[in-house]
Amino acid sequence: MTTEQTYETVDMMLNMGPQHPATHGVFRMVLTVDGEHVVDVTPHIGYLHRGSEKLAENETYGQVITLFDRLDYVANLNNELIFCRAAERLMGIDPPERGQYIRVILAELNRLASHLLFIGTYAIDLGAMTPIMYGFRERERIQNLFESVTGARMMHNFIRIGGVKEDVPPDFVPRVRALADDVQRGVEEIDRLLTFNEVFLARTRGVGVIDVPTALSCGLTGPGLRASGVAYDVRKDYPHEVYPYLSYKVPVGENGDCWDRYYMRVLECYESLSMVRQCLDQMEEGPVMAQMRRIARPPKGEVYVHGENPRGDIGVFLVSDGTDKPYRVKVRPPSFCNLVALRPMMRDAYIADAVAILGSLDIVLGEVDR
Amino acid sequence: MTEQQPPEEQAAPRPAAHRGPPVEVAAEVLDAQGERTAGALRLALRDMAIESGGRDDVPWVRVARENLTRAVDSCVRSPNLRVDMLHCLFAVDYEERIELNYALFSLGKGHKALLKVDLPPDEARADSLTGVWEAAAWYERETHDLFGVEFDGNPDLSPLILFEGFEGHPGLRSFPLHDYEEW
Amino acid sequence: MRSKPVQLAIAVVLLVGVGVLVAVFTLALALLGEPGDDVTVLTVGKIVIALFALLTLVTTLGMSLVWLERKQLGRMQGRVGPTRVGPFGLLQVVADGIKLLMKEDVSPGSSSKAIFYVAPLLVFVPSFVVWLTIPIGRDLVVRSLDLGVFFFIAVSVLSIVGLILAGWSSNSKYAILGGFRSAAQLVSYEIPLILGVLSVVMVADSMRFTDIVDAQASVPYLALLPLAFAVFFISGLAEVGRTPFDIYFAESEVVGGPFVEYSGAHWAIFFLAEYVNTFLVAALGALLFLGGWTWPFGELEQYPAVALFLGKTYFLAVVIFWVRATLPRLRIDQLMNVGWKMLIPLGFVSVILVAVQRFYGWPTWTLTLMSVAVLGAAAFVQLRLQRSDAVATAERYAQHAVAVQPSRSRPAPESQQA
Repeated sequence: MTTEQTYETVDMMLNMGPQHPATHGVFRMVLTVDGEHVVDVTPHIGYLHRGSEKLAENETYGQVITLFDRLDYVANLNNELIFCRAAERLMGIDPPERGQYIRVILAELNRLASHLLFIGTYAIDLGAMTPIMYGFRERERIQNLFESVTGARMMHNFIRIGGVKEDVPPDFVPRVRALADDVQRGVEEIDRLLTFNEVFLARTRGVGVIDVPTALSCGLTGPGLRASGVAYDVRKDYPHEVYPYLSYKVPVGENGDCWDRYYMRVLECYESLSMVRQCLDQMEEGPVMAQMRRIARPPKGEVYVHGENPRGDIGVFLVSDGTDKPYRVKVRPPSFCNLVALRPMMRDAYIADAVAILGSLDIVLGEVDR
Repeated sequence: MTEQQPPEEQAAPRPAAHRGPPVEVAAEVLDAQGERTAGALRLALRDMAIESGGRDDVPWVRVARENLTRAVDSCVRSPNLRVDMLHCLFAVDYEERIELNYALFSLGKGHKALLKVDLPPDEARADSLTGVWEAAAWYERETHDLFGVEFDGNPDLSPLILFEGFEGHPGLRSFPLHDYEEW
Repeated sequence: MRSKPVQLAIAVVLLVGVGVLVAVFTLALALLGEPGDDVTVLTVGKIVIALFALLTLVTTLGMSLVWLERKQLGRMQGRVGPTRVGPFGLLQVVADGIKLLMKEDVSPGSSSKAIFYVAPLLVFVPSFVVWLTIPIGRDLVVRSLDLGVFFFIAVSVLSIVGLILAGWSSNSKYAILGGFRSAAQLVSYEIPLILGVLSVVMVADSMRFTDIVDAQASVPYLALLPLAFAVFFISGLAEVGRTPFDIYFAESEVVGGPFVEYSGAHWAIFFLAEYVNTFLVAALGALLFLGGWTWPFGELEQYPAVALFLGKTYFLAVVIFWVRATLPRLRIDQLMNVGWKMLIPLGFVSVILVAVQRFYGWPTWTLTLMSVAVLGAAAFVQLRLQRSDAVATAERYAQHAVAVQPSRSRPAPESQQA
């Protein structure tokens, strides 16, 4: 008697993360793969959940800023800015103009640093080793400037409710000008090396395409949404701070693929540099902090403020009960919402594409998990 | 050392105080854009609106829990509002009620609005919006994690940012900040 | 930090050391008998000594590539590479090797232990065995086989088995994916590699490496067969898994592929095999296309000839590392497209061109002309068209970006009013 065994092929579950080098932190996605084809993807998050929102309810307004530093730890100043703007709206404060200029300069430089990091890590996701070194080199210049202005390289706690902590160092303007020229050269160098590289084009063009209705339905914002063809930029559509004084371009893509998402960020690097230069031209001497009580105690009420982070549209919903601690702080983290778009993008993807698509979303897990 | 020393002539005299003049505290009012949005909201929601208000360019409208899907639907369909994005979902625990805030954005028309729904804390249950926006799935899972709100119609309310088996809902005010056991 | 003279002295000693290795290898070869000798303990001993000298030489040359790659990549990326151990960081490789040997050798509990531990050897042994017939100088070869090129191809294919077994026996999903990838990749790229080599063999009328090199004494085959060289070099990159074909151990995708579960000495063997293979491809390129130890300006003494050959080899290695510093990684389907739709047809075209030229007895420069024409057309179609589309798209994005003008006017700064 012969024993007959029947064999059937099953899809393989491939667990990517939380210790996978291409998941940018402690992100985990479970890929169902059929050979090299990705059939389905299930993202799992929460490995870095620190309860920032709960913690914020037990800190004073000034202390909450430090928690925001640690959300998107690649673009700290943008995060500080959005919380301070929310608290200021609640209190009805407008920071002095010089303070606003300093905020915008720092925020745009931080956006630049974040995009440089993205370009480098994205290249390394795709197997190119060199751009990350160039990216870090340029980011290092920006970090050095931040260190001389805020005293810290990453967790600045510099933007405060009502302005900024203190005035910039006396050599700030010439230094930033020199820095902008250096970084411009660096970005151009990376751009020349990577953007039109044939292998890079082959890996990113037409990969991870997302159309506008799906992108909107998933809540995709920032460069990802603009790559799909929606000219939505908070700085443009709901101008705040000194953005109305600046002239700049909002790059908009057409195809919504990985290459578009990458190239939007490259173009934004140039725009950020241009904005920084304009701010330096316009900035005048003056106070940097609004006159207000030392301890912020906003009146009872609630406010929803959103702003353009490097990764997308960050929102802060702030409820005050009239005490010196916020009653509720809720962040709309752009990376969290962009991750929802991961699944629609993964249609017809290969395993290698999964890495390319995840990289093009540019997530920061500190913000996803809070 | 790569940092060059500051040039001498840059050391301009600084203003004595770095703090500006005192500021007026603005009242909680809508600006022009907010008024336009509020008008469009009124047209879209009609009698479903229980209460309304707002600050700056973000008006809010409170609707009854039963009307949530209908209200969202009319906001999406309304020609003046044309909401196309669920920007976020916030839950606030006011102890006597849990308030859900749906941030509805219309990128095409430039409208931003909050849709509020009050839930009783003992029966925190609302209709899911997953049929309207894919993004709602994760927002609702997160809200379910942190506030214990049940969303009828959400196919998967498994823990998203908490680990499996975590007991309690840390977003609630009643959840202690310090004295719970680490796993 | 040691003083400069000491560092230079160590560097000189290391350089001399390579020379000494070559000399030992020469002596060992002199000890070696003829193939017809009786097999005695003495002849076996001689063979063991010769093989040991060869192993040491090959290992040293492979390790030198590790240093070269780290240093070169460092310089290309605005870093300095290793500097601390030894002069110019030359001994860093040795330090790393010692560290790896001293590490605990961990294997997954569910792996097939026997296969798991044999697999590294199955990868390393073929890449070593082919050196039996690869000459590093006119007479510096263990056995100059009539079918040397054939032997090389037949043996080097065997390392695929080791990679697949390593991937399978690890009982890890990433490893098995990497194993599958390596099987698909290496088998596919054997064909264009063989076709590239075949063109050379047809022109040289011999499969013996020394004959092929001697035939290039006046004109290296690179000038005659640029098409065959391109096919050979690209598929050679794929054969040894260098960027942009480092797909089977792609760190950001399958986290090291077949090697993911290996550690310590077994991983070191994989690592060494990779660099020995890289050196092998560079050496083959130098032998088959760059004229090996010959140059057009007359005949060289033995040691200068070896230095010339090593120089050509290192030059090709530098090109390989340069490619690594520049290019991202291909995807598996694109890899297959490049192999089956581009390299194999081009390889056949190259073989046909040589056949036609040989059959009709056309002058050799016609071969160059035809090769360049085909290569240029292929490069244009493959590279230029895609790129021009992307460039046009990028220009459109830059032009169509939504320009935002200042919506509020700002009072002119006081300094300008004054």
